[in-house]
Amino acid sequence: MEAYMGIDVGSVTTKFAVLDNHDELITNLYLPTQGKPITMVQQGLKQIQQQLPTDVEIRGVATTGSARYLAGVIVGADLVKNEITSHAVAALLYSPEVQTIIEIGGQDSKLIIVRDGVVTDFGMNTVCAAGTGSFLDHQALRLNMSIEEFSRRALDNQNPVRIAGRCTVFAESDMIHKQQMGHRIEDILYGLCQALVRNYLNNVGLGKEIKPPIVFQGGVAFNQAIVKALQEELDREVVVPPHHEVMGAIGAALLVQEHIANNHGESEFKGFGVSEVEYHTSSFECQACPNLCEIAQLSLNGQVLARWGGRCDLWERSPSR
Amino acid sequence: MRVGMPHMGNIYIPFKALFQRLNIDFVIPPVSNQRTLSLGVKYSPEGLCIPFKLTLGNLIEAAELGADTLLMPGGYGICRLGYYAKTQEQILHDLGYNVEMIQVGVSEKKLFGILEMIKHLSNNAPWSKIISAFRFGLTKLNALDKVERVVQKVRARERIKGTANHLFAKAVKAIDRADDYDTLKKVQTEYIDQLNQVAKFTQAQPLLVGIIGEFYVVLEPFSNLDIENELGKLGVEVRRRLFISEWTKFSLFLNPLGVNETDRIHKAALPYLKRDIGGDGWESVGEKVLHAKEYDGLVHLAPFTCMPEIIAQNIMPKTKEVIPVLTILCDEQLAKPGTLTRLEAFVDLLERKRRSKDRQQRVLV
Repeated sequence: MEAYMGIDVGSVTTKFAVLDNHDELITNLYLPTQGKPITMVQQGLKQIQQQLPTDVEIRGVATTGSARYLAGVIVGADLVKNEITSHAVAALLYSPEVQTIIEIGGQDSKLIIVRDGVVTDFGMNTVCAAGTGSFLDHQALRLNMSIEEFSRRALDNQNPVRIAGRCTVFAESDMIHKQQMGHRIEDILYGLCQALVRNYLNNVGLGKEIKPPIVFQGGVAFNQAIVKALQEELDREVVVPPHHEVMGAIGAALLVQEHIANNHGESEFKGFGVSEVEYHTSSFECQACPNLCEIAQLSLNGQVLARWGGRCDLWERSPSR
Repeated sequence: MRVGMPHMGNIYIPFKALFQRLNIDFVIPPVSNQRTLSLGVKYSPEGLCIPFKLTLGNLIEAAELGADTLLMPGGYGICRLGYYAKTQEQILHDLGYNVEMIQVGVSEKKLFGILEMIKHLSNNAPWSKIISAFRFGLTKLNALDKVERVVQKVRARERIKGTANHLFAKAVKAIDRADDYDTLKKVQTEYIDQLNQVAKFTQAQPLLVGIIGEFYVVLEPFSNLDIENELGKLGVEVRRRLFISEWTKFSLFLNPLGVNETDRIHKAALPYLKRDIGGDGWESVGEKVLHAKEYDGLVHLAPFTCMPEIIAQNIMPKTKEVIPVLTILCDEQLAKPGTLTRLEAFVDLLERKRRSKDRQQRVLV
């Protein structure tokens, strides 16, 4: 069976998806990145190999997410794609009529506007992490509850409290303030969800026309309280598709399938064996000009595979975009 | 007297030629870099824009090299940049630099403001000598811009990425070195020929993206992470109206058609914005309207906290002429990974849009 693999290495989680050539999901995987993208990609490959039926042949691999270039070098990706395009392509597979895609991940959030099956506009949070998964995680941790419990208890609210959500720092101090005032924790939690949704729409959604059908994907879509708050704020139905947490990886797999078909090429995939290889990362300060850029490099057995991080192209050696 | 001025792209080259011919001692600070930015950020009020911070950094670095007379554009009618020379002078004095700041009135007097400044610096040299030196500087400026326009085309099509940049860097050096009109002409033709001969992909017409927005951040590559080069690497042809030589043409009334390009842009903006709002805001709106049919997309560059461009940004989505616009706010926080992600996604968007348009046309046929 021919198959295509997408790997989405985000700041918080690493996602794998393998699709057959009828765009059916064969298997997928969702792992925490834990700040170790290389190790997690290797570990993920190992696990994916075990999950796959033995007759599967990988015909193409694409990487996406913030560590897409690094992951691309490690696995030998045929295509390295940004996460905005990947998410849009995946959303269109499951809901061809979609007009708005909301994606909230660990460190960033996006809003993608689609008309007639083509992306026409997008927004991405710029300065602030308010409204992203990491902040919710952090608050759950502070309150000593799992994120699942956070979501469940937030839905149990009676009288949501208004939290200042402009900024995570203010949101946190406002939450503490409301706790000390004696508000119910459920009401505070849901108030926080509402604040994050408001902030997301005011920030990322500024000046964008949000039309139905609306699809909500990314890890934060697990949180039913956020889904509810979004629906209330938009006054529209918000659909959370199945596999919403691995949509980026699914999109990458779809894109590489298209890429291989267009180029009639052989895959550059290095095989599942790369999970056994030891990669070495290092960095140095370039002295060529006063910019003193930090150049990061990835090597294998003393041979440099890739370099990046400079303002100019002096050291640049990375797989083609 | 030692003269120094801030950087903006390669503008130091024509000024160097001009000052050399008038025997004015001219010191060129290092091209804008991380240190320039750090200096500028450290000594600037936080809410000011990146043009203020970077030019202040340049001026400090010029003063470090012994410049005692600093040039900075100013005057009313631009935007708050009109006050920057005064503010920066105060900061430099507070830092203990004994410098004189000359505010060049480019907004109200156009090029004549520059000529007056030169007259003063050259210790009252005769006008004939000034005009002659000025003409030579202008010829260098035009040569630089002519080569750069070809570079914009080649970057998108070259088979080996980086070839055009390499040639451009060499051309800039050669133009800088050229000492007379003949050499200059020769260098210009030679490099344009070389650029035209670079091996190119010819199968597909590259996407065409226009760069619009505020003058300084469009023209100073350091302030915008060299966005034109990044677009070129993605196989996109970049075009822009803003070239310094265009501005001088306009100021000298040398426009060959007699119709002012700026007037045409203002006219296009009229249904949505009826007046100048300072800076280049009016032009940004007008260019969007004018280029909607011609280009695949627009990248709108604006300094963070720039009032005119923020107004333009908010008007642009409402025009009836539709074209995808990606606004990038430039400040010291602008980081490469995030910007590249947006650029890549934007280029994907334009490509897919073009493909779906092609498909529709085929269906219609």
